[in-house]
Amino acid sequence: MLQEETVIHHHAHHFTSANHEFEAAKQGMWIFLVTEVLMFGGLFVAYGLFRGLYPEMFHEAHQHLAVHMGALNTVVLITSSLTMALSVSSAQKGHKVSSVRYLVLTLILACCFLGVKYFEYSHKFHDGLLPGGFFTNTEIKSPKASLFFSLYFMMTGLHGIHVLIGMGVISWILRRTLRGEFGPSYYTPIELVGLYWHFVDLVWIYLFPLLYLVG
Amino acid sequence: MGSTSQKHHHILPTKTALTIGALLLVLTAITVWIAHIDLGPFNFVIATAVATLKASLVALYFMNLKYESSENRMIFITSFLFLAIFIVLTATDLFFRQEVSVHGTFIAEGSSQSKLKKPWVSTPELVAHGKEIYAIQCVACHGLEGKGNGPAAAALNPAPRNFEAVDGWKNGRKPTMVFKTLKEGLPPSSMASYATLPADDRWALTHYVLSLHPQVEVDSPADFARVGIDPNQESVQEKEDPKISIELAMSQLAHAESGMERGAHLYHSRFEQVQEGPFIGKYLYQKHCLECHGDHGKGGIKVSVLGVYPVAFVATHPLNQQSPSMNSQEVFNQAVIRGIPGNLMPGYGNLSSSELKGLYQYLKAENE
Ligand code: HEC
Ligand code: HEC
Repeated sequence: MLQEETVIHHHAHHFTSANHEFEAAKQGMWIFLVTEVLMFGGLFVAYGLFRGLYPEMFHEAHQHLAVHMGALNTVVLITSSLTMALSVSSAQKGHKVSSVRYLVLTLILACCFLGVKYFEYSHKFHDGLLPGGFFTNTEIKSPKASLFFSLYFMMTGLHGIHVLIGMGVISWILRRTLRGEFGPSYYTPIELVGLYWHFVDLVWIYLFPLLYLVG
Repeated sequence: MGSTSQKHHHILPTKTALTIGALLLVLTAITVWIAHIDLGPFNFVIATAVATLKASLVALYFMNLKYESSENRMIFITSFLFLAIFIVLTATDLFFRQEVSVHGTFIAEGSSQSKLKKPWVSTPELVAHGKEIYAIQCVACHGLEGKGNGPAAAALNPAPRNFEAVDGWKNGRKPTMVFKTLKEGLPPSSMASYATLPADDRWALTHYVLSLHPQVEVDSPADFARVGIDPNQESVQEKEDPKISIELAMSQLAHAESGMERGAHLYHSRFEQVQEGPFIGKYLYQKHCLECHGDHGKGGIKVSVLGVYPVAFVATHPLNQQSPSMNSQEVFNQAVIRGIPGNLMPGYGNLSSSELKGLYQYLKAENE
């Protein structure tokens, strides 16, 4: 069974201390997140540009997104961010059982998020609301509406891939937590995965209003 | 090898975490609620502001940025600084670039004030004139008899309208409705706008198309009002700027340029010296038209109808006696100057009348 135990982690020889190692790893994570900001940033700029060029088209096209689904997913993702934060703080305090519980909850919420996305996507496929030349919907009058859906699929798709990767790394730290590798003295990986997961939440916090609400 | 604990580290208290989580959910509810109230551009401002507030809470508390070393904080915040530069510089293009529009050059006559009296009243002359234009502009898709079975039709989805049927019309079969279709097209289908044709020509086309079925539908005064026509007045006065959209201008330019490049290449390899006089028609033909109309205007070249998915092709007809536009310089000029919308053939409004004459004579001589 799971027990609270002391963990001995040996830092690599090129660091002066475990704390030094932790700080270096964390800084690396922040720098990685900077590159992520810039990657998503490009898409947001494209969004802004085309929204400025074709405001009516965006308005018409965005009405074909399901606001309730998007809102549900926002709640799901924010809650998962909360459980992730709680899991990290539990690990830092050495409460392994609750850390595991919160990680599992986070994973379940991530699955819910993708489940909702699956329904949304299949609905869009069915209605022919697809990017570029694949756009076959005839309800939308605007001739350029496929552009909106190119952006929609590109942005939510890239975000969805991040969610998938997040689920992978959460499973990985869940396994390591179960093995008892983390405790108050060493929790670097779990904290870094936490940072990543919060970032994924952060992107969605912008995607939801921009795509679903104000189009 | 020591193993000091990570003790300088701030641990997020459970209570704070729950408070932030609750706050985020409340803010989500607020954005969804506000989005349902129409505040014009403020909807966008508020939505972005609330999202930024939420993002800051996530970053400060969940991501612990509040207690993070100032170095890491600076690293992360700098990324947003760069993003801001990216956004602002791109936005200047959007806000300060002047309206790009091309005046005139591709369209021979800018205004489309009608010269005929009451062109919305069908006359045999108008129908005959419509038939002439139809043979050039519309047969590729709608077919010779208007059955919607022209050579390009097979690949078009939705299929071109069958004018011999009464059902399935989207705008409708009343004259003003067909006129509207010709002015605006039927986006997103391949039925393009023919607003570049003068209003009189569009009325002529309308009457011809409607003459293909005996059942006549008559416009009510309300129908006329909808297209902005007072049927008691003598003529139509369409307020139209003599300019074309950026996209059209760019596609026209791209067409013209690629044609010119290929033409220039041909010219240099084969007709080193000839540039003027009787050869002008041949030279211009090689330069602009050869790629689509084939050697000596023999036709048979497949031209893709852009903007249609899946891609469709139309094979060009020979430019000989049978071709409706090869019987008079006038009709020929109209076809070449205006081009054929639907992305089939670019318009060559920049050709002078002597150049057009040269082209016509060259084609006539070649296809005697
Ligand atoms: C590139 C192919 C193409 C060309 C060229 C073309 N059309 Fe069409 N046209 C179509 C298609 C496709 C439709 C059906 C669109 C739809 O159902 O949404 C259509 C529909 C129409 C309709 C029916 C409108 C309605 O209310 O449903 C009219 C009228 C019409 N065309 C007239 C013309 C005339 C006149 C010309 C020549 C000036 C012309 N078209 C040239 C493809 C073409
Ligand atoms: C991008 C390809 C393309 C180019 C370039 C092009 N055409 Fe065309 N043209 C077409 C197509 C497609 C048609 C319609 C099919 C047909 O009737 O052959 C057409 C039709 C015509 C017609 C009307 C034919 C008729 O049946 O009455 C004339 C006249 C004509 N072109 C002349 C020219 C001349 C002159 C040039 C050069 C200045 C030129 N075209 C360049 C594609 C092209």
